[in-house]
Amino acid sequence: MNLTNTPEQEELRASVRRFLADKSPSEAVRRSMESDEGHDPALWRQMAGQLGLQGIAVAEEFGGAGYGPVELGIVLEETGRALLPSPFFATVALAGQALTASEDLEAQARWLPGIADGSLTATVALSEEQGGASLDAVTTRAVLDAGSWRLTGTKMFVVDGDSADLLLVVARADEGLGLFAVDAAAHGVTRTRLDALDPTRRLGRVELAGAPAGRVGPEGDAREFLQRVLDLAVVALAHEQVGGASACLDSAVEYAKIRVQFNRPIGSFQAIKHKCADLLLEVEAGRSAAYSAAWYAAEDPAELPVAAALAGSYCSEAFTHAAKENIQIHGGIGYTWEHDAHLYLKRAKSSELLFGTPVRHRARLADLVGI
Amino acid sequence: MTTLTEQTGTVETDEEFRARLRGFLTENHPGRPPKDPAEKIAWQKAWLAALFDAGFAGPSWPREYGGMDLPFAQQVIYQEEYARARVPGPLGTGLGIAAPTIIKYGTEEQKERFLRPMLRGDSVWAQGYSEPEAGSDLQALRTTARRDGDEYVVNGQKVWNSSAEIADVIFTLVRTGEPDSRQHGISYLLVDAKAPGVTVRPLKDLTGASAFTEIFFEDVRVPVADRIGEENGGWQLVRTSLGHERAAGAMNQAALYRRVLSELIELARDRGLTGDPLVRDTLADLEIRVRIMRLTGMRTISDIQAKGEPGPASSTSRLFIVQFEQDLHEIAVDLLGEYGVLGKKDPHAVQRGRWVWGFLRTRASTIGAGTAEIQRNTIAEQVLKLPHDPAMPPR
Repeated sequence: MNLTNTPEQEELRASVRRFLADKSPSEAVRRSMESDEGHDPALWRQMAGQLGLQGIAVAEEFGGAGYGPVELGIVLEETGRALLPSPFFATVALAGQALTASEDLEAQARWLPGIADGSLTATVALSEEQGGASLDAVTTRAVLDAGSWRLTGTKMFVVDGDSADLLLVVARADEGLGLFAVDAAAHGVTRTRLDALDPTRRLGRVELAGAPAGRVGPEGDAREFLQRVLDLAVVALAHEQVGGASACLDSAVEYAKIRVQFNRPIGSFQAIKHKCADLLLEVEAGRSAAYSAAWYAAEDPAELPVAAALAGSYCSEAFTHAAKENIQIHGGIGYTWEHDAHLYLKRAKSSELLFGTPVRHRARLADLVGI
Repeated sequence: MTTLTEQTGTVETDEEFRARLRGFLTENHPGRPPKDPAEKIAWQKAWLAALFDAGFAGPSWPREYGGMDLPFAQQVIYQEEYARARVPGPLGTGLGIAAPTIIKYGTEEQKERFLRPMLRGDSVWAQGYSEPEAGSDLQALRTTARRDGDEYVVNGQKVWNSSAEIADVIFTLVRTGEPDSRQHGISYLLVDAKAPGVTVRPLKDLTGASAFTEIFFEDVRVPVADRIGEENGGWQLVRTSLGHERAAGAMNQAALYRRVLSELIELARDRGLTGDPLVRDTLADLEIRVRIMRLTGMRTISDIQAKGEPGPASSTSRLFIVQFEQDLHEIAVDLLGEYGVLGKKDPHAVQRGRWVWGFLRTRASTIGAGTAEIQRNTIAEQVLKLPHDPAMPPR
């Protein structure tokens, strides 16, 4: 196992970081989050056109760069650091990885080129009204009607569910769970935006009333495939969380160096130093967790479930802790709307609850390792 | 990565090295330690000598002083296999602390005289740094060494020394400058532990055992030739380490705690506790941390191999480990309920009271070799570059 970036991977990280520092500083993030679209469509096109980021983990035959979870993780760490409001996570990390994992060549040929060139946004819809991102709890029905699938049910907490062009919906057919592609503009699809905590990432409710669908991926009961899709989502999110936690630490440290009280920078007080040292420990441990999970996703899929549960639990808590301490270290200014600290807290807490809570990740890990 | 072995003259791969080392450790395992303390030391010395004579001692040491001078990847393998084999570790604290200092700063004569006997276990070394009035603030140390011809006359008291009662050499820091000279007036001296005027007294710690001692120096005469480095230049030598052996050592800790946690999980299962969701959550949290310990160790190692330096993760790994070992033992005691309080002398004790003993012993984890608070200060100032505390003496 090699958990150190190659020079090419370092260059990828540096170029994404430069790009986002230039194109998506705090003012741009705030403009995007208050806009109708929830993101900057021009930036989205540049990400695809200039950097080819949407195609980073898409196979070359479908117009991508042909890299995998490790390189995607690097990009996500940077988008997480910049708190980028973007369909990137839902389109590339959720839907793109699901299509790649499906081994469904027809579905891949149909949608991956659009994802890679930035002309298509997409997402995966799993959770339902009872919440919990659980495969077991799925009640949305998939019924074959004259040779065509039709879906009926309600999906909740769908990332970019109010805006994505393509919905990959987990639903239950007679033969078991499966993944189904639904055109969001189709008849029988009703979407609303939820008033959710994180203004930089929108969540939607999707009602399906006999919506026409196409099956994606394995026939029969596709639970194993769907679990992999979920694990890949958790690993992708863990990279974003590490990036966010790292940004919070950097922000806290920078402020502690310049903020003077009692005639000295507050960073010279041990109470502040110790908080920052503890955050560094957690950020670095989180990196070990996320990077190794991406490595397993790419190289040793049998180990992915444990690695995903590990990273999901640790990185979720590390980010939320870092976001809270960042506000605390900033003091009053950290409690203002004007400062970005609250945006990181909101991203952190909502990410922590998105694909299974830390407690649930640990319960799964306990099952998997035989505790 | 491959290396040329002296024995065969052929190229040996990492995995061949692992197999050869594992084979040696398995075939020559010394078995269980004798009960009698003196016999146990003799048993341990015999093991260290066998290890040295077979060419399996000093993974990071230069060959000219009896070491193996392994490439870094094989140092890591060495630490993993050593931890896995459950064979006795080194006697005294010289190997990890004094030896790198002598290798880097000693004279040729000192290297010849001290290194091989230390590595072979023939000579046991104990550290004498801390003093009653100089703990975290080690630069305030007061033990004096007054020059008298080609000797120093040493007076003062050291504390928290491990292995001093069996030591042949005490490596110590003494004040050769003015009383208030702090780091500018400290010298690094090697004191013959059997010399007249040296008194070693056991210090009973909170576990009831005496793992540490106090050392009293009364007009102890030490040859100037047994000073390492310059007079008043001892402070710069204090944190010497060899290459990246600490990073390799972290893998040893990770392997050790992997095993200990598996034993705890087994115990919890045997006692029917693992059906409880809170117990499962707690154990899963430890499982995550013990895995991260190893992953961070591996990441540090691949950083060293790729860039020549460990990344910031290595600066936090000790803090990560000591917090883990404290939590692990306390959780174990909690899981056992009232049985958690029974010590090794009680016939009803679970696993001879190992967990409650560990709970007590690991209080030292966040105190010894730099308190957790001092470590956090160091991380904050050296890695995160936060400003120095003006209330503390200048560095």
